Amino acid sequence: MPSGGLPLIPLPTNCPGCGVGLDVEERRAHAYVCTCGHHFRMGADAWIALLADPGSWQERWSDIRPHDLLDWKRPKPYEDTIEAARDDGLNEAVRTGRATIDGRAVWLAVFDFRFVGGTLSIVAGERLARGLEASAGSGVPYVLVTASGGARMQEGVLALMQLAKVNGAVGRLHASRTPYISILTDPTFGGVSASLALMADVNIAEPGAAIGFTGARVIKQATYADLPKGFQSAEFQLAHGQVDMVVPRTELRRGLAQLLELYR
Amino acid sequence: MKGLTRSPAGRVGVGRETLSVWQLVELARHQDRPYFLDYMARLAPDFVELHGDRLSADDPALVAGIGTWHGRTALLMGNQKGRNLSDRLRRNWGMMHPEGYRKAIRLAHQAAKFGFPIVCLVDTPGAYPGAGAEERGIAAAIAGAILEWFTIPVPVVACIIGEGGSGGALGLAVADRVLMMENSIYSVASPEAAASIVWRDNARKVEAAEQLQITSRDLLAMGVVDEVIPEPEGGAHLDYDAAAQALDAALMRALQPLLEEDPKVLLERRYERYRYIDSLIGAAEHFGPKVGVPNESPDSVG
Repeated sequence: MPSGGLPLIPLPTNCPGCGVGLDVEERRAHAYVCTCGHHFRMGADAWIALLADPGSWQERWSDIRPHDLLDWKRPKPYEDTIEAARDDGLNEAVRTGRATIDGRAVWLAVFDFRFVGGTLSIVAGERLARGLEASAGSGVPYVLVTASGGARMQEGVLALMQLAKVNGAVGRLHASRTPYISILTDPTFGGVSASLALMADVNIAEPGAAIGFTGARVIKQATYADLPKGFQSAEFQLAHGQVDMVVPRTELRRGLAQLLELYR
Repeated sequence: MKGLTRSPAGRVGVGRETLSVWQLVELARHQDRPYFLDYMARLAPDFVELHGDRLSADDPALVAGIGTWHGRTALLMGNQKGRNLSDRLRRNWGMMHPEGYRKAIRLAHQAAKFGFPIVCLVDTPGAYPGAGAEERGIAAAIAGAILEWFTIPVPVVACIIGEGGSGGALGLAVADRVLMMENSIYSVASPEAAASIVWRDNARKVEAAEQLQITSRDLLAMGVVDEVIPEPEGGAHLDYDAAAQALDAALMRALQPLLEEDPKVLLERRYERYRYIDSLIGAAEHFGPKVGVPNESPDSVG
């Protein structure tokens, strides 16, 4: 894995996994994974820096912008929500483009949880669908990194329609016999787990990542159930047949390169 | 087209009267509203239910089977809510588990085998938010169903007859034509869930419902549904026969042109229906024109 190059991410003083004091520079050099194995969340910029070979990232369709189509005003105008995220230097919940990973060409799409919870929106769906179609058309493998709370409420049922839009494109990708690898990171829920996230040829989850359809809080509210420790963790999903493997972030690039070679 | 125009003060015209959005939500959830089996008794009296996903279980929240509809055999399926408490428990309030989506797709493939058209009547608050559903892969079951619907080479017509809640509803509503009963709702999340997400307080459900644009008029304006089916005055629960008659006619009107379609063209258009579904309302200038989708739509109401 590349030793520097990742953007700086603010970390807590101590690791929530083991309590040890954290040195940001040191964690950055280890892809923001603690010595105890706790994986800190990374934004799209960090994921692109981690996975794409240096200088290989060519972003596409970054100019497509979200719009307040429903005239959403409360509790916060949707336009303000979007502006605030953009002021933080973020460009929608999904970024997509061409890159190489260990010299192999891929289409790469990365969710960014910092942009309205990584929610699937019209723009996110459009970027995903265009990338999937381009991947299907060219036979260049599609690599996805997810981190999302689900569909974006402020775009209403049109956000829900993105599930069908992207899964239609996933179907075409499979029909074109193009490899599809999905990397599920913390958290992946709702409309993203119920659309393209789990439909890959190989589903890879990050250790400890929460992955599911309905969040644990809502399940508890709705059913008064006691949920077991580790419920909806990556390891839980491996045991329940939903993912092929759980791979530490520090070994991910090597693992991806091997898979891309085997599915060539 | 620039955005949607909102009706004043969150009120929408319904038939001959004006109801608040929340009154509409309550109508869509009315305990006497006709359910799937009420419609089947009128649309296809010889309906034969087929059970099970062939993997592990049968999901009573989804009733599916074959029956004679307008002189031909069709695959007919829909959510079933219960009328009394024991029935509601058994039907799980129309909330499906993974087995329901797997049953739907098993039978959709069977319909393709025999060339039966498919009718899906959606009436669910959403997929079941429980631990068992998660353990048995509800996310992948819904995702897999959405994906599979794009490969079923026979006409599929869906109608929201009550509640169309979230991905749980969409798993039954990826179709060539999607209709809505006038007093039904279709939403990215239930108003309660949306309020819980954006306000962290599900008591703000009324405000959420007003902002989400979930009424049949809203959905028609957005181009997400193709036709709104007028209900008997006061709502479908007041006259099952008239509601069934209107539903029957609208479903047939939607299906008719699809029956002559070449299966390849059918699947291509189904893909394009969803690929460009968000291009209608003001987004065209950003996403490009709605490509390849025929402009002629069935007779629209409203």
